[in-house]
Order: sequence, then structure tokens, then C-alpha cells
Amino acid sequence: MSDAIESGLELQERQNRFISLHFRRIFAQIYHLVQNVADAQDLTQESFIKALQHQEQLKDEQKAAHWLSRIATNTAIDFLRRSGRATFCELDEAPESQSESPEAILLRSEHREYLEDGLRLLSARERAALIMRDVEGLPAEEVAERLNCSKATVRSHIANGRTKFRRYMERRKR
Amino acid sequence: MRHPNQATLALHAGGDLGRIRNWWTARHLTRCAECREEVAGYTEMRELLPDLADLPEISWNRMAAEIKANVRLGLEAGECVRSAEMPSHRASLTGWRAVVAFASVVVLVGGCLVLERPAPPAVHIAQTAVESTGDGIQYQDGGDLMLGLMNGGAQKASYTLGAQGSMEARYVDPETGSITVNTVSYAQ
Repeated sequence: MSDAIESGLELQERQNRFISLHFRRIFAQIYHLVQNVADAQDLTQESFIKALQHQEQLKDEQKAAHWLSRIATNTAIDFLRRSGRATFCELDEAPESQSESPEAILLRSEHREYLEDGLRLLSARERAALIMRDVEGLPAEEVAERLNCSKATVRSHIANGRTKFRRYMERRKR
Repeated sequence: MRHPNQATLALHAGGDLGRIRNWWTARHLTRCAECREEVAGYTEMRELLPDLADLPEISWNRMAAEIKANVRLGLEAGECVRSAEMPSHRASLTGWRAVVAFASVVVLVGGCLVLERPAPPAVHIAQTAVESTGDGIQYQDGGDLMLGLMNGGAQKASYTLGAQGSMEARYVDPETGSITVNTVSYAQ
């Protein structure tokens, strides 16, 4: 009986350690895709639940990290597909520093909104590929691994994403 | 001159082409101002995108605690669902089961439509009356006195009217001190 309780506590402790080790990275990864804190937090939780339901996959730490990243990406992409579009953050939720003037905050917020409007034009996978490659700076091989597709497919997503985004920028300039 | 397509130029701007395509595109760009301009446009776009990497100010400790608590709840809920699930045999609504179910629904719906809805019972206003008087309880039918129960000289009697039209009189006999309860009710 006490052994069972102890192993339960140990398991919980291990799960908490796993969450502490990865949650910032996973949150950031999802936030870059959905651009909304509340949604990103919900999806981070969902990703951890999915991962921790398969304890056997978590034995190798490095593999577990990759696996978790893939779950997080898929969870965020599913969310983007379900919701049809990303729900972006409010002005007061946007990152800010204490030293910034109100004008600077407003300008930065407008700039962010401008970029987010462009992202809305992309499909969920194009957006994911573009963000992983051009925002997070991941190599195409890793993007392919996270999206669980070939490098050629990732290149196609990236090219489509960049082309659509650039057209959007040109339209906005006119 | 054959120009590379937009996808090739977009990939070249990020260094995402294979070695041979990259070399061929770079060679083309040295001779083509139009394509160089296109690549410059993609490069400019790529320089803007990292602005999306900024994270808002977040209380990481609070978020960690919330995530841990919610993940725990989620895992426990998942355990409950798994243990409640049927282990192997699942009854599926196919074949004869579907036929029986469909027939049952048809019979049920048909029965509901065919059967007459029971009419609410008619309310007859009875002319029968049970009432209290100064001396006791009287039972009248159509204005005729049918029964009278006297209180036997009691000064104070308490009457209770029942929901079904019955009436009860309670009083203390002044001579004996005994309590008498008279109840009058009628049935149709």
C-alpha cells in the first residue's frame, strides 16, 4: 500500500520535473504560432497531458523533448485549423518594457498587428513552417521533423508562406 | 533569359535551397536586377518576422503552478475515462440491432401518434356542502340537511377543513373533560 503511494508520489514528482524543464520552451513555441497568451497556456497544458499519458515515450530525455515539441506543434496547428484563424493578443497583453513611452508601445503594437494580419492569410501549416524557420530560426530539417513531413514539403510550405506574406506587405504599402 | 520562379527566390532569400539550385539562382541574380529586387523584398520581409518572437511579460512561476495543477487534473480525468471505458466488446448499432432499434422507434412514435391523449377528468361542481355552524358540523346535499354533528354544548370548538372537502371539529366536553373529534367527509 505504502509502496503504491510512494510510487504514485514519485511519478507525480517526475511529471512535475518534466513540466518545469520544458514548459517555457513549449509555451513560447505555441505562443509564436497562436500569438495569444491564454490560448497558448491552454494548449501547453493540453500538450503536456498528451505527452504524459504515454510515460514510456519519456524515458530518453532528448527524444522526449523532440516528441513533446512535435505534440505541441500539432496541438497548435489543430487549434488554428479548428478556430479558423489565430486569436491575437490585446494591446495590454503585448510585451512591453517599463522604459518604453506610450507612443513607442502604440507603434510596436501596430507593427505587431500588421505582422499578425499577414500571418492570418497563411494556412496553419504554412504559418507553422514560416514561424519555425523565420521567427524561431530552426533549420528546415527540424521544422520537417516537428511537422512530421518531408523536407521538400516543408520547403514548399515555407516558400508559399513567404510569397503570400510578401504579397500582403506589398498590398499594404500601396 | 529564364527567370527562377517566386518560390525559388523566396527560398533563396532564406538560404533554403539545395546546393545546386542555390548556385544556379545566385548566378542568375548576378545578371538579373529584377530578380535581385524580388530577393531583396523577401529578405526585408524575413527581417521583420523575428519581431513576432517577443513574448509578453509573464509570471512564469504562477503559470508553472497553474499548468502543473491543470495537467494533474487532466491526467486524473483521463484515467477516469479510461477505466470507465468498456475493455473489449463494444455493442455496435449495426445489422439486426439496427433493425430492431429502428422498428422500436417506429412503433414508439406510431403509438404516440395513434393513441388518444387521455382527457383530463371532468370537474363536477358538487352541490354537496360540508360546513360548520354555531352548534357543530352540517352536511347538506342540494340544500337538504343530510347530517348534523353537534358539539354537545362545548363553548370552544376548533374546525379543520380538509383539502378533499372534509371537515373536522375538535372540542373538549365541559362536563367530562374528554376530547371529541368529529370528522365529516363525503364521497362521490
